[in-house]
Amino acid sequence: MGNKAVGSASNGSKVGSYKSLDIMMNPKSVAVIGASNNPDKVGHIILQNYLDEGYGGKIYPINNKSEGSILGLRAYKSIRDVKAQIDLAVVAIPAQAVPAAIRDCGVAGVKSAIVVSGGFAEVGNVKLQEEMMSIARKFSIPIIGPNCLGVTDPKSRVNTMFLPSFKIDKPKVGGVSFASQSGAVGSSIFDLIAHEGFGLAKFISYGNAADIDEVDIIEYLANDKDTKVIVFYLEGVKRGREFFEAAKRASQVKPTVIIKGGITEEGAQAAHSHTASLAGSYEAYEAMFRQAGFAIAKDMQELLDYAKIFDTQPLTTGNRIAIITNGGGTGVIATDAIYQNGLSLATLSKESNAALRKVMPPIVNIRQPLDMAGDADDKRFAAALSTISADPNVDAIIVIALFQTPGADSRVAATISHYNGVIKKPLVVVSIGGSYTEVHKNMLESTGVPVYSSPGAAARSLAALINYSKYRKGVL
Amino acid sequence: MVKQLEYMKAEELLNMYGIRVVPAKYVKSAEEALRFSEGEAIVLKAIPSKPAHKSKNGMVAVDLKTQDEIRNGFNKVRKAAHKFAPYKILAQKMIKGTEIIIGGKQDSQFGKLVLIGLGGVNVEVFRDFSLRLCPITTYDAESMIMQLKSRSIIAGNDKQFRMLKELLLKTSKLMSDNDISELDLNPVILHDDTYHAVDLRIIE
Repeated sequence: MGNKAVGSASNGSKVGSYKSLDIMMNPKSVAVIGASNNPDKVGHIILQNYLDEGYGGKIYPINNKSEGSILGLRAYKSIRDVKAQIDLAVVAIPAQAVPAAIRDCGVAGVKSAIVVSGGFAEVGNVKLQEEMMSIARKFSIPIIGPNCLGVTDPKSRVNTMFLPSFKIDKPKVGGVSFASQSGAVGSSIFDLIAHEGFGLAKFISYGNAADIDEVDIIEYLANDKDTKVIVFYLEGVKRGREFFEAAKRASQVKPTVIIKGGITEEGAQAAHSHTASLAGSYEAYEAMFRQAGFAIAKDMQELLDYAKIFDTQPLTTGNRIAIITNGGGTGVIATDAIYQNGLSLATLSKESNAALRKVMPPIVNIRQPLDMAGDADDKRFAAALSTISADPNVDAIIVIALFQTPGADSRVAATISHYNGVIKKPLVVVSIGGSYTEVHKNMLESTGVPVYSSPGAAARSLAALINYSKYRKGVL
Repeated sequence: MVKQLEYMKAEELLNMYGIRVVPAKYVKSAEEALRFSEGEAIVLKAIPSKPAHKSKNGMVAVDLKTQDEIRNGFNKVRKAAHKFAPYKILAQKMIKGTEIIIGGKQDSQFGKLVLIGLGGVNVEVFRDFSLRLCPITTYDAESMIMQLKSRSIIAGNDKQFRMLKELLLKTSKLMSDNDISELDLNPVILHDDTYHAVDLRIIE
């Protein structure tokens, strides 16, 4: 599933646009070309997944060697034998046979196609890919792929992935959409997104981008009402300027977290000047992402860390962070982390300090970070959260909840969840620990509280949120 | 084939966009350099017709104040430039201050870019620079400066910040309007609340 940005629509005009993705995500009828009763075949897995997801539209298995039935559905030798409207054809047959299959789709009046088959430009077979595209152009069939996993939409229960459902976690319906050039990165992050409890809006793996490309995808996701946060794994773009313009438009309405694969130095070789040697290919990408207001993740963990805060927390342009902790040392580390990320510690108002003094026991120093001591229970967490969240000098809150302490249990988790639901400022939790902590982390995250396993990750994520908020508002 | 804009033409182009360039003049003799200096310190640079690293090849003599210094400097630079002939010798007024780099380039993927960074001969070592796609907005220009680690050195007060912001906007306009593949103003020297570009390299 290793993809490269090779082979493109540049040999001819594009067929699809961002609008083409609508019908691919929401088809009323789907044909699986290459469907099979043999469980080893990709076409079998795709068809099985459609059945497992409970897809509500019509499904037509197509296999030129079999009639009768496949997985209990009536099968057809050719898509031309299906005498009904087909919105989407999922093509999972050997590469050599794909152009003919697309021609059949054209004759049958199929509205769109996803070609999962590999063996095209990614292995040097540019000619075959171009042959497929010239037929697609003739019949005006927009195409995702080839060499991809296709799309998933948990809401419409469309899933063209050829990965057995028992091997991959199933995400719930939600607001994060994820696009990936690479199928391998795509499927592993998809699995993690589901495992970490994110809700998914759309998943798009677009492979060689022979037709539908990253510009169409960013445009589609920017316009998609179900998508709150866009997460993008990108190796390269073919239409650089158009991507930049689409990216800027997207950032005006929703955040994008991006990770760029392939940090090459190709630009440096031809340099005649200092500028050219500094501004290599990766630097240009990074500049474009910044200028478009994207949050740039350095690795996959950071990608998910950022997605989590954007998915659940409100925007804020302020950088005054209050820290509430039941562990002193962790509070100190968190203080360092916020300053390292360009944020600062909030100074609480006199009124807040007085209110906290009344409710906290004498052993608790009333200052920032607020160390409530190891015996802090849910009532102490509630008192601190209620006062500090209302303080006008506080823009966002980090709650450090160490569940190893005697006072911390599921009531503390429930208290934090409650305040996360009512306060209008960003709130993140840091919880570090083993299996008991894990249980509470899951409780918190299932109620929309982003939990981080290090103060550094929490501070970086808050900084990403604040930077994006500033970009949206046009402030520095 | 690299086609570098001749120095005086580069200066003229930069001036058209309101980008300040240090006063300079081609000189044919030490006497002419002396007249140009008017008693102030000057720099002499050999400008060979083919690109070559000037300071590494001894083709630059700086901070020449006295008659002797200017005569010796002229001879030294002429000698060093001999093997790069044909060449011209440029006299510039000597300026001291903080060195920054202002740049531009044509990127194969995204088109024209503009760059600012801590400048001088060690730019590749410090790598403290920021980059945006042309044309840039005021917000882009400001965020470019804010992104630099050296921002408190090069834009220590509001006036300097505004000046650099405007310089970036002018550079972006220059890049957008013209057929330029690479632009290097390195260094641009910040001094006395103003700046002057000292070394100009514009490749068409």
